[in-house]
Amino acid sequence: MTIWLLPALICYAVASVLFAVDFSTRVQRLTGYAVSALAAGAVCHALDLIARGVQAGNIPVANFTQALSFLAWVTALAGLILIVRLRLAVIGALVAPSVLIALGASEAMAGGSGTLPSALRSIWLPVHVTLAFAGEALFVLAATVSLVYLFQESRLKAHRPMLSGHGTMPSLEKLDRINYRLLGWGFLLLTLAILSGALWAQHTWGRFWSWEPRESWSLITWVLYAALLESRLTVGWRGRRAATLTIVVFAVLVGSFVGVSLLYPGKHGGSFG
Amino acid sequence: MAQSLLIVGINHRTAAVEVRERLAFRDDELVAALSRLKLVAPSVSEAALISTCNRVEIIAVAGDAEAAARELIGFLAAERNVTPDLFADAVYRLEGREAARHLFRVGTSLDSMVIGEPQILGQLKDAYVRAAEAATVGIVLHRAFHRAFSAAKKVRERTLIGHGTVSVSSAAINLAKQIFDSFEKKTVLLMGAGEMAETTARQLVRLGVESLLITNRTFERAVTLARALSGTAVPFDNYRPYLKIADVVIGSLTTNRPLLTREDIEGVLHERKYRPMFLIDLGVPRNFHEGLNELDNVYLYNVDDLAAVTDDTREEREREAQKAETIVEGELESFWRWLSGLELVPAIKDIRANIERLREAELQRHRAWLAALPREQRTHIEALSRGIINKILHQILSELRRNNGVVEGIYAADVARRLLGSEMPGEIKPAPARIADDDDAED
Repeated sequence: MTIWLLPALICYAVASVLFAVDFSTRVQRLTGYAVSALAAGAVCHALDLIARGVQAGNIPVANFTQALSFLAWVTALAGLILIVRLRLAVIGALVAPSVLIALGASEAMAGGSGTLPSALRSIWLPVHVTLAFAGEALFVLAATVSLVYLFQESRLKAHRPMLSGHGTMPSLEKLDRINYRLLGWGFLLLTLAILSGALWAQHTWGRFWSWEPRESWSLITWVLYAALLESRLTVGWRGRRAATLTIVVFAVLVGSFVGVSLLYPGKHGGSFG
Repeated sequence: MAQSLLIVGINHRTAAVEVRERLAFRDDELVAALSRLKLVAPSVSEAALISTCNRVEIIAVAGDAEAAARELIGFLAAERNVTPDLFADAVYRLEGREAARHLFRVGTSLDSMVIGEPQILGQLKDAYVRAAEAATVGIVLHRAFHRAFSAAKKVRERTLIGHGTVSVSSAAINLAKQIFDSFEKKTVLLMGAGEMAETTARQLVRLGVESLLITNRTFERAVTLARALSGTAVPFDNYRPYLKIADVVIGSLTTNRPLLTREDIEGVLHERKYRPMFLIDLGVPRNFHEGLNELDNVYLYNVDDLAAVTDDTREEREREAQKAETIVEGELESFWRWLSGLELVPAIKDIRANIERLREAELQRHRAWLAALPREQRTHIEALSRGIINKILHQILSELRRNNGVVEGIYAADVARRLLGSEMPGEIKPAPARIADDDDAED
């Protein structure tokens, strides 16, 4: 626990409330404050991660709880970019509380050593881990955007559209396109993460692949995301179907992330200590 | 008699459209009319005239409201060449705080036929600019109009009063914007003709759709319409192949059975890789099969659905109007405080400080020979100079205070301040050009 954790949690909580109020009142007078709070939270969170990293002497992903915190931070960062660059304030109401919960949970469950065994200390570590978490953060956002899509879609189908509000709901086309891009980039990063992991394994243990649970599940999610992207390109599964599948595949990803970490404390999951 | 605000006019609630038309002024007539008003309405000290299709109103400042109202009604009748009887029953007269409230409610479009409609604010600004050109606005109307504009701005920012959609065609357009991100590469297929369908198609063209296809049982009509909307006519027996490139289909045909069925669209969807389709059914009876809405990525709205959307907007605007009324009351309160002379205090302070500065400067100028005098004489001279300015100030300030609470007080304070005070901080000056800029920025 560092001194930056509490400010980060507070900023995320404030951002969550502001985004929610901003969305429900629809006059969008709070968006700027909400974005600032989220950004401030991400800065404090980054300082917290750096402080931990310095303490441990390596990138702070030595155990499940640290990894969760790191993933939450990457998600907050990517979410901010999406909100600001693509004017997608509506996802703030989902991203901010998710990040808050993830960081809170990571702290509540904290335990174990933050130091990696020397065998794993290598330049490959930050490369592999950053790629993997950046990819997963994009999948988190893809699932978020898909939820918004399903909400918007159901209103339009039911002839109860949300037409008013200074920042009206983003169009279906925009949400679908963003979802597709997030999936594409996420898939690319996941692929590179798996490749870098394999190369690292070869370097350290002399074999590319050892079928340990994390590896297997990564491969399974990789196949699922590949199928998801493929279905859009060939049979045109876009819109509601794509959004639903994005959420389903994401659920598998979360299940494997949590499950593997807690059930199989191997090289990847649980504590290394 | 105390001067106060006065409004005389007719609007969509009190007068039929025929009467409103007879009394309406064109924008280019306003300056000349207001100049004549100055001559025929001696009881009126300030005036502005707003004329739209829904209202003709004169906003004035006058001492004798009774006489002024008579003069203004006579002015309207003479200007428009009608007998006062024509609108005697329709005319309303609002005085004082009620008049100010009315002006603010007009500006925020709470008094409009369609609550929240955006044109009225621009029209009110035009009225103000014309009156400023005719030099019939003074300090009270300047402040009143600026307060009305700022109330309108706050209402726009803080409420949803101008949001949503109040006509069927704009409902269709707003829905299209909820489905599609941009219209650049979109194709619209218009089947049949009809006022609503044409308006909708025209608005889609304005949004920049790539192509507009028009089909009609009578090919000639399709061609005529295509020319008017810069679209392409398609023969009625051959429109089906175009469905697969049509992102928006507007149906406005008279037909005894649905033209597009589930099977038709299912096949089309597969070919267009399930890119979304927006079907707008404006036909009677229905042109498109109801079940189409159940297909993935197909959004079907008929006239009733669109009308329901506009009803929702009306309900929402009614709710938002409550918030707007609260904002108006706040602005009214602050305007009324000013008008009631509570803001004389700063004027008095300003005048006192300025005269005191003059006195100090004068003493300073003569400090050389003053310094040569014995202390006692210096004190006397100080006291003498202070005594003189206090006498002068007393007379001015008691006159101001006597008028405190009435418009004369405000005029008097304005004059006194201009003569004796430093430049009024934040003084409102007529600035037609700047007002026009504001207008552009907001729309």
